[in-house]
Amino acid sequence: MTQLVQALVLGLLIGGVYALMASGLTLIFGVMNIINVAHGALLILVAFVTWKIWSVTGIDPILLSVVMTPLMFGLGWLLYKGVLSRISGSSPGMSVLLTFGIAITIEGVLNVTAGNRFRSATPSYFSESYRVLGISLPKAQVFGCLAAVVVLGLLYVVLSKTWTGRAIRATAQNSSGAALVGIQAAGVAALAFAIGTATTGVGGSILSVLYPFFPASHYDWISRLLGIIVLGGMGSLAGALVGALVLGLAETLTATYGSLQWSTLIFYAVIMLVLLFRPQGLFGSRLRQDVMA
Amino acid sequence: MVKHHNRRMARRGWSASPIRALGISATVLLAVAACGTAPSEQKSSASSDEPIVVGISLPLTGDFSQPGGEARKGYEIWRDQVNKDGGLLGRQVELKITDDASNQDTVVTDYTKLITEDKVDLLLGTFSTLLNFPASSVAEKNGMLYVEPAGGAPKMFDRGYTKLFFAQQATASHQPDTFVKYIEGLPENERPKTAAYPTQDDPFTTPVIESMQKQLEALGVETVYTTTYPADATNFQTIASAIADKKPDLIAQGAVFEDGVGLVRSLQQLNYSPKMLFQTSAPSNASQYSEGIGEANTEGVFYTVSWNEKATTPNNEEFVAEYAKRFDGGIPAEDAADAYAAAQVVQAAAEAVGSLDQDKMADWLHSNEVETILGPLAWDETGAPTSEFLLAQWQNGAPEIVAPEAAATVDTAVAKTPWQ
Repeated sequence: MTQLVQALVLGLLIGGVYALMASGLTLIFGVMNIINVAHGALLILVAFVTWKIWSVTGIDPILLSVVMTPLMFGLGWLLYKGVLSRISGSSPGMSVLLTFGIAITIEGVLNVTAGNRFRSATPSYFSESYRVLGISLPKAQVFGCLAAVVVLGLLYVVLSKTWTGRAIRATAQNSSGAALVGIQAAGVAALAFAIGTATTGVGGSILSVLYPFFPASHYDWISRLLGIIVLGGMGSLAGALVGALVLGLAETLTATYGSLQWSTLIFYAVIMLVLLFRPQGLFGSRLRQDVMA
Repeated sequence: MVKHHNRRMARRGWSASPIRALGISATVLLAVAACGTAPSEQKSSASSDEPIVVGISLPLTGDFSQPGGEARKGYEIWRDQVNKDGGLLGRQVELKITDDASNQDTVVTDYTKLITEDKVDLLLGTFSTLLNFPASSVAEKNGMLYVEPAGGAPKMFDRGYTKLFFAQQATASHQPDTFVKYIEGLPENERPKTAAYPTQDDPFTTPVIESMQKQLEALGVETVYTTTYPADATNFQTIASAIADKKPDLIAQGAVFEDGVGLVRSLQQLNYSPKMLFQTSAPSNASQYSEGIGEANTEGVFYTVSWNEKATTPNNEEFVAEYAKRFDGGIPAEDAADAYAAAQVVQAAAEAVGSLDQDKMADWLHSNEVETILGPLAWDETGAPTSEFLLAQWQNGAPEIVAPEAAATVDTAVAKTPWQ
């Protein structure tokens, strides 16, 4: 019983962090139909900067997300205005090519400037746990998950309670309809891209503490995150949360009751099954062109 | 080092889809068909004053850029030292290095082009079993000597190749031998009684751990836990708590890098410290490892390794000094040393037979021992090396060599301390 509870709790803690990392990716797809393959590279970029600041100043890496988030918001805005806006209206395939280019550029710059080696931030609590009723809760995982919950909560409030958020959601649901009622699609797109990128400010800071990383680590992360949002439904924030928790639980439960070797297989088997019955993913909405196809 | 990145590459590569594998085989076949005559027959190299061109393809970008870049440094230092000493067979040496982007298809294209279009005089190997497996096929079919600095998975050597040589001490399944010997040499009451064997699913780590388990079971060490986890595993708390439940004296992990750091961190979080800890290659990553788990926690961790910067092997001091001079006082990565050693092997063969005749060089290597910075290397008929890895241990925040005695940098092994 303890074993089961331990596996469930750990799975949820891990899933919470995955959800945060996937949230920006799904938001950007939802609003702009851009599959941002550079999302993983942006996470690693933040992890590197966080690690660097931590190793020089000793400031807590997860706390540093307060600085990294606005920085990444700015970078996201610039990236959209400077690069991505030029392919606005093109097929998602085009966005994959372009953002893959951005990912490789970030990887290359990190290779040259930060060095091609593994890093990980190790604040004092990285090797400690809380013990609650025989269950062990690794502190870093708990702090990471708490930060994730805060960010996801904020994101939810912004998107559902503010005019800006409504404009973003309106554009996601029907961009021409939104334009018709006076929403400036270009401005909203830049804003959504910047917000999506800003989430990597927190996600990357947490990553730097929880997982060793090096410049090419972003390939592992982007494939995991894409799996999550496909399962949850491309573009759906709730879907990303559920997809991430499913992945987290799949990892800990298979490792506890079978072998971790099966976890990836089981996760993708779940994706296949879901797509078989719900091609749009768990929370995705079907578009008219999907039905016609 | 056979080490980590080999495995990194290896991991993805071996799990490649059947379609991809077909594509690769087809490419190899085409490549082979495209070149009828072996380059060794086309050249009368030894008589010319032209520089000797050595063709190499390395993963300079992509996932495996780290060991690839280090290998390049090793090769280049060798080239400059040889040229300073008057060259190879009286001719200057040039390297023609191409980038295979850590990709199996590209590495095949690269070596095919080096052999058939660029008509290089010699080849040197690339990094990892993943890339060396197809690359060595191209070399073998073209009659070219192929000495690889990495790529020690057992399946490299069951193909009956005659021109493939692995320039490290042993293949993967013999990597734990020195550690097992060390355990065997301990007084009965100091030996571990129980052991856990978690390993990454990787052609380089799995055979090491399987072989160790078999050998230790024969010594009476009871196996209490085994598991294999995938290359993309990032969360180790569940495995760590399963291990902690069994309380093994020894944890022997087939660890590439992140997984080694990840498991130790998770064990720390559970506050379970085994009496002995062995990891295949993660601990060989010097400061990356000690920073990852905390320097105080490295004390007593065992691993096996192909090279050490303090070894008193021929040329080692010069190699280490030159590397430090070029790269801001840095200590060479094992990958750089392995590449340098591979080049030393080719050099020794060419000098011994007095020409670049690929057949004669291969024949000579099959029956002779070569002194390298890793120590003496010798090979069986399949090109698999027949020596032993060095047994290393972290002591006082630095990696030391414990065995064999001839290469040892310290007198004795120390006991592992509990997590700090």
